[in-house]
Amino acid sequence: MKNKRRNLGYFFIVSWFTFFLLTQVNCATFSYGSVSQNKIFKAKEKVIPALVHLNPIKPVYTLGKKEEVIVIGSGFIISSDGYVITNEHVVGESKKVKCILSDKREVDADVIGTDPFTDIAVLKLPADEKYPYVVLGNSDKIDVGGIVFAMGSPHGLARSVSMGIISMTDRYLEDQRGVISMFNNFIQTDAAINQGNSGGPLVNLKGEVIGINSRMLIGAENVGFAIPINIAKEVVDSIIKTGKVQRGWVGINLQEMKAITEDMNQKGVVISDVEVDSPAYKAGIQSGDILVAVNNESIHARFQEDLPLVRKKLADLEPGKEAQLTVMRNGETKDFHLIPEVYSPYKGQEVEFTEWGFTASEITNEMLKRLRIPNRNGIYISGVQDGSIAKNSGLLAGDVILEFEKQPVNNLEQFLKLYQDAIETNKQKILLFVQRGVVTRFILIKDMKVDGLTIKGIEEKRRNSDEH
Amino acid sequence: MSINLFVAVISIHSVILGFTSQQLETIYKKVSPSVALIQYSSEVMNQITGEVSRRDGNALGLIVSSDGLVMVPGFVETENIESFNFRVRIQINNEEKEFNATKLKKPDDINVLFLKIENKEGIKFPFVLFANDPQLRVGSAIAMVGVLGETLDNVRCITTAHIGAILEKPRLTYCIDENVRLGFVGAPVINEQGDVVGVIGFDLSKAEGGEVYTRSGHPLVYQYELFKKYLEEPPKIQLKEDEQEAWLGVITQPLTDDFAEYWGLPKEGGLIVATVVNPSPASECGLKVGDIITNFNGVPIHAKYDSDVTGFTKLVREAGAGNHVKIEILRDGTPMTLTTLLSNRPRRSYEAEEYEWESVGLTIREITPDLRIALSIDESVQGVFVYRVKSGSPAQVARLTRGFIIQSIGNYPISSIKEFKELAKVIDERKPKEITVFAKIGNISGFFRIQPRWGESE
Repeated sequence: MKNKRRNLGYFFIVSWFTFFLLTQVNCATFSYGSVSQNKIFKAKEKVIPALVHLNPIKPVYTLGKKEEVIVIGSGFIISSDGYVITNEHVVGESKKVKCILSDKREVDADVIGTDPFTDIAVLKLPADEKYPYVVLGNSDKIDVGGIVFAMGSPHGLARSVSMGIISMTDRYLEDQRGVISMFNNFIQTDAAINQGNSGGPLVNLKGEVIGINSRMLIGAENVGFAIPINIAKEVVDSIIKTGKVQRGWVGINLQEMKAITEDMNQKGVVISDVEVDSPAYKAGIQSGDILVAVNNESIHARFQEDLPLVRKKLADLEPGKEAQLTVMRNGETKDFHLIPEVYSPYKGQEVEFTEWGFTASEITNEMLKRLRIPNRNGIYISGVQDGSIAKNSGLLAGDVILEFEKQPVNNLEQFLKLYQDAIETNKQKILLFVQRGVVTRFILIKDMKVDGLTIKGIEEKRRNSDEH
Repeated sequence: MSINLFVAVISIHSVILGFTSQQLETIYKKVSPSVALIQYSSEVMNQITGEVSRRDGNALGLIVSSDGLVMVPGFVETENIESFNFRVRIQINNEEKEFNATKLKKPDDINVLFLKIENKEGIKFPFVLFANDPQLRVGSAIAMVGVLGETLDNVRCITTAHIGAILEKPRLTYCIDENVRLGFVGAPVINEQGDVVGVIGFDLSKAEGGEVYTRSGHPLVYQYELFKKYLEEPPKIQLKEDEQEAWLGVITQPLTDDFAEYWGLPKEGGLIVATVVNPSPASECGLKVGDIITNFNGVPIHAKYDSDVTGFTKLVREAGAGNHVKIEILRDGTPMTLTTLLSNRPRRSYEAEEYEWESVGLTIREITPDLRIALSIDESVQGVFVYRVKSGSPAQVARLTRGFIIQSIGNYPISSIKEFKELAKVIDERKPKEITVFAKIGNISGFFRIQPRWGESE
């Protein structure tokens, strides 16, 4: 009995082994047949000369201070006059970026514009020469299983190439750890993507760029994501022409139809939220309405991955130009006419207030959604430095300054002016009124004395001694 | 000769420790019979998921009356931990006996819990008598009688420590100079005179500003004076009924000298009104943000530090709901007097009305004013708060999580727990295939499709 079992086991191993050999042989035929080594070489040759290693020094606001950090990223040249595509999260707010070209030359590129919503940035290399550039493919015509290469500088290792296949063509990744991609899905690939690959091209076997490598799942193996190049084309065009991407805002948030019904025949998209005082709000659109058409063009989002396209359709509405939204409410169709406004920026402008030791930003619509701020009044304290006047006076990160010496604070610009006046006239005490959650509080900003010296005094002393 | 030497050693020892071994033995014999072992079960809620898990626990219990009032450490029951099934193990005549006990309402001004032993036979329990004056100074030696672990048969044990520091605010607090083991939390504290003067505790209670001034992790002595009233009049058995507690409806901050100087006011302290809850007795009498409270019902307010604010809460509470109070304020430097009728404090989140909708696996609570403040929920947002989502339940499948505010079910808006309950009952009767819930979290809202598993829940 025992022997028999062992024999069976043996048979199993043998058959497994044969199967393994067969697949091996198959693989061999595959790689030397339809996908030849030459094809891979050719695809690589088409892109590598246009590959750029980026070393931006980007400002970041952390713990109440503006600091500059050196980051590593990738990019690729898309025109002979030197336009380069990369990720917004690579260049951030930097104005100039150090680039290393494929021939290892170092040049400075100007940042032409960035779009945080799609995580795309466009740079421009010096105009004094003709650059090699890549061919952009068609990311609508890709299929799962297609062979792709990721090229770039993983962990700073420039001009690296990795290979894999397309794992999924339209992965929905909204709102992951604060990074949003409202207007696009992602190409998922198992071609190795690491930190530093960001902004580099995802290339097909023909040597065409079909995506911009921009994300990966940390803790997972070979789960990387690229922005489809067709999404990028439009954004890049707009940035090159106007330096930015303008979007229309109607003020509605959407949910897929599956959230309310399993009925496949119900078309449209669910309006989950109407932002207060938005064009949609003023027009009378309510949460729970089903949006079925935009300017008489019918729309449908059954699943989450269908949402980016609908959001984009709304964002493509021209600000200031009347639009018609058709919704279903209680089984009846209703048309609403509204005038879209300009979509507010993703990030608010941020400023460091050196003397008091804090950073603050304007409050954007996106911040209202992500942070628990009651409304857009005031300015948002993004960080407070330890040992600073602001900290000693009791200001906390997350506070919203509503009043400055009894004057309502409307925006960052106005606050900056009030602040600068106070610094110039050397005012000893400033009364702020802040919102902390739903509670309000008075804060008296004053220069504390340490060992007989004020904080300002200490800083000055340090600066002077540095000079000597 | 050798005996003399032994005595000499002991006396040196006593100088260092403050207690002789004889003293310790006497204390041990006197106090340890009233040191009990409490065994209990509790439901612990994970604050992130709202998931509840059940645990068994042990704690030290100190018998404080002959009819079986037992004082246990506050950690036994907190906002996230609900305990039940209390058993008290006591050594009577060298024999370990077990009694059932009932939980009494947890005091909110000291972090201890009281139990009452079910004593049908009228047994006279050994108990500790406390001395009024703790006579503790920095450096004073103290002895504690605690319970060792299960592997050591929970035998009672005596140990010593010192008072390492004394805090004056927000009330007199004695800190011990080292850590104590778990079995000593709640242990009776004996001073150098041999009097039981308090118990070992951690953290201040909520009403003392324990949330603002966390003194977590350091053992303290709760002196007798703090819990005396509960020994004289034990708390009632815990009931989930409205608490009658007076409330004004303001959030204040102290008038520090800096603020006084800025506004050109005398540096005598006071309370700056920072937030006025609306509606509240404060808003009704016209109290405004920026007013400075200088006198409350005849008691001058001289608050200058954050720790002084809690004293005001106490004053309001003592004034009593349903009573008119006079509030003297300074508005833009001008003295004014306001009068208002104190009302009952709206229920707090931990005593909020709760409803478990079993068929979908949701436990919801009313949105209490303090929850609004904690979660920045605007007054305009109505609904019920998702307190718990049962693991694997239809609600969890629909991706609802703790923290959402359910604003409507189907086409029916929800503004109170009553409305929610009624609707849930109708739904439970009709058993629809699915329920669409509209809920909000922060500034984001959305629809959730819940598909109850009717067959299984029956």
